[in-house]
Amino acid sequence: MKEFTDVALNAAKDAGATFADMRIVEERQNRVYVERKSLKLIDETESSGYCVRVLIDGAWGFASNTKLTRDEVAKTAERAAVIAKASAKVPKEIPAVMAPEAKHIDTRVGPCEEDPFAVPNAEKAELLLNCTNAMLSQPNIVMAYGYLQFIKLHRIIANTDGSYLDLTNYFANPMLNCYAVDAGESQSRGFQGGAKQAGFEFIRHIDLEANAAKWAEEALLKCRAEDTPRGIMDLVLDPMHLALTMHESVGHPTELDRILGWEANMAGRSFVKPEMVGNYKYGSDVVNFTANNVLEGGLGSWFYDDDGVELYSFPMVKDGMLVNLGCTRETAPIIGWEKSNGCCRSDGFDKPPINRIPNLYMEPGTDDNLSPDDLIAGVDKGVYIEGMGSFSIDQMRNNFQFGGDMFWMIENGRKTKPLKKVTYQAQTTQFWNSCDAVAGKKWWQPHGVMNCGKGEPMQVMRMTHGASWTRFRNIAVGGAQL
Amino acid sequence: MRTHEEIKQLLEKILAFAKPHTAQIHYSWDNSLATRFGENAITQNMSGESENVRIEIFNGLRKGSMVTNNLDNESMKKMIEIAVKMSKDAPEDPELMEILGQQEYPDTPKSFFDDVIQLTPEQVANDAKVVVEGAKAKGYKASGLFEVSANISAIANTKGLFCIEDSTNVSYSTTVHGPMGSGKGFANHSSYADLDIRKVADMALTNAEMAQNPADIEPEDYTVIFEPAAVAEMLGFLIWNMRARDADEGTTVFAGKLGQKMVSDKVNISVVIDDPEIPPAKFGEDGLPIKALPIFENGVLKNLRYDRFWAKNTGNEPVASIFPLAMKGEEQSVDDLVKKCKKGLLVKNLWYIRYVDRRELLLTGMTRDGVFLVEDGKIVGPVKNLRWNESPIVFLSNIVAMSRPERVDSNAKIPGIMSEGFTFSSKSESL
Repeated sequence: MKEFTDVALNAAKDAGATFADMRIVEERQNRVYVERKSLKLIDETESSGYCVRVLIDGAWGFASNTKLTRDEVAKTAERAAVIAKASAKVPKEIPAVMAPEAKHIDTRVGPCEEDPFAVPNAEKAELLLNCTNAMLSQPNIVMAYGYLQFIKLHRIIANTDGSYLDLTNYFANPMLNCYAVDAGESQSRGFQGGAKQAGFEFIRHIDLEANAAKWAEEALLKCRAEDTPRGIMDLVLDPMHLALTMHESVGHPTELDRILGWEANMAGRSFVKPEMVGNYKYGSDVVNFTANNVLEGGLGSWFYDDDGVELYSFPMVKDGMLVNLGCTRETAPIIGWEKSNGCCRSDGFDKPPINRIPNLYMEPGTDDNLSPDDLIAGVDKGVYIEGMGSFSIDQMRNNFQFGGDMFWMIENGRKTKPLKKVTYQAQTTQFWNSCDAVAGKKWWQPHGVMNCGKGEPMQVMRMTHGASWTRFRNIAVGGAQL
Repeated sequence: MRTHEEIKQLLEKILAFAKPHTAQIHYSWDNSLATRFGENAITQNMSGESENVRIEIFNGLRKGSMVTNNLDNESMKKMIEIAVKMSKDAPEDPELMEILGQQEYPDTPKSFFDDVIQLTPEQVANDAKVVVEGAKAKGYKASGLFEVSANISAIANTKGLFCIEDSTNVSYSTTVHGPMGSGKGFANHSSYADLDIRKVADMALTNAEMAQNPADIEPEDYTVIFEPAAVAEMLGFLIWNMRARDADEGTTVFAGKLGQKMVSDKVNISVVIDDPEIPPAKFGEDGLPIKALPIFENGVLKNLRYDRFWAKNTGNEPVASIFPLAMKGEEQSVDDLVKKCKKGLLVKNLWYIRYVDRRELLLTGMTRDGVFLVEDGKIVGPVKNLRWNESPIVFLSNIVAMSRPERVDSNAKIPGIMSEGFTFSSKSESL
């Protein structure tokens, strides 16, 4: 492929580019989708294409193409240059520059023990049909659906720094859910474990079939449960639930492009300011967040981001203090930072890379023996929430409201009865500062998120979060009712 | 860009490669220019073109599919070979429907305009500049997206079906931030000639100016006046729940409601196929022709969306698509609604809407880019953003008055609505 990347980079340089890169992306996908007892989809997708990104006089141009010939590559680079010159008509106050990054020549392949594309589709379909059948055989279950998605992502990135990267990653994304109906109520329950950078071994490990009937029982349990309590009370949240809470209220607010106002038209901005780094108490002393783009199995562990930055791990919140932001080679210099921390990714060959949430997780508590039961034992009145449900947050990432997938009342230190339709509402830093206990590391679990939407036109990105069970004091519960 | 005839020939060639198998080919082509700006400068500027083919091979009740953007002969033959193998290995699907033969498609308004595909990056940049210059003059910051796109879709199969359609879309959306509030402007058309950049820029700049220094307000039930964009955001969740099978199984708010009055008798929503402002796609599922269809008539639920299998199973007509949707309004403007409001909130936009409970269709979300207190028929001033928890069924049941409908996107023409008793539950300091 180097003959093509050389053509692109030379054409870009001839057009006056101070920086340019070419990214060739091949993506192979396999999907199987079952609804009730019907195999709705079984397919494979193969797509390939490339893009050329050029920076001329501090303005960006980007063009993509699917025809990989020397002539077409040169034309694509020339078109990117034309677009960069058009961008200069509405110039940045400070012309864009790229933070320096070392030249990297590397070939890497991510974890995949069992090639998912070699596993027969019939086996995948049978697995899902067994799951939905197990769910539908439970009383009052009217709908069950399951999905398996496997992706092989192959990127070649070459840039004018002299880097040439050949990178391959595999992703496994399972989903299983069902709906129960009882006495005019309908509630859902299902797999909440998320996705992982892995092969088919991940699907075997999570054993959806073993849990399908249990989730179906719990869907009906929710239908017959009491409605949410209302008032100020404590919360104990499981790792799967917290994945979404931290995604929305820590991951997005610490993206530097939002902070700079670049997402103001759609995804929104952030209450965080660059000057808060190092002196803003984001959470209580027990709250520690780490951005780790080399996390094993992490959906954001791509070896190098789409800026060609080698990925690594860094603290985001330390003892409750905000100590970092997620940035790119373009955003870092704007606030005077010398280097990018590798948070720039694109969801395809036809989209420019943008500032994205890294793998971001909450560190477990320091007391290894502190268990979820211990956290519940410390609550007089509260709610225990498992999994993800309703979620909504304002455009500055302050006011949020979350639901969940399963709820239990906590009274006098014990889980007493199931609940339904629970939501809680808080402001971001009020919430994280109300955190008073985090279970030990043996209860820490990762959760891969495959569907983070951001950018215009919309790009969908993936990253992994993680946490141990965690307790929060005095949160407003039950504000959302008809 | 291939001509319709060239696309037909391409699909016929692929079907010939697939012989003797039963096959259906879906074709799509997209071309777009997208210019993003933020903080008064272009931050991303991109162009691209893509062409995809989905090959479906049918083997009794079994099916295999392959999708690729490599359309050369060797690739097509390889894809067919894999799809054939897939169709042999797959379990039987008791709900798999046979492919359709040739259908008759209605005459629909023009949906493809050459002026869109002729736009250059320079023209798009110049248009982006209009709102940026306006924002700079006021000391404000503009951000936005100007995207123009063209699309062609086609389906062909071994039973003789061939259908093709093309469309263009021009979407200009901008948010202007002052130090203490923001305003939005947007427009969406099929043709570039219909786009009035100055009007969009003025809308965003005026809204931003009006929204500065919002006052505190307590969350409670208010009469609201939603502009058409806000109404459309909320109605989307109503429409996405209209699968007949889900209603028959009892998982949606429409369970047992077909033929019943669900909302105010002012509510008339239908799929329209003859409005040149929102030209429809000619076909939907498997090449089924689009048809006009009433959804709500005087508040009564008239139709739900039956897919081909569920229609056959229940003895109903399948529905190709429930878009584009038009909701009838009343012969007045949003300003007229304000004049009729004794006390309420004028809401420009909604944000981050999600289900709280799907069965009840209870939703939550935020207001965004301008909320204004209205008293005695006049706007008193901006107020801070609020979180709401409400159902579109309640919202449509409590309608007091509506404005003239307008196109909010390629799929919807919607009026502004004044409705009573809308529930706000918490405050936000976010501007």
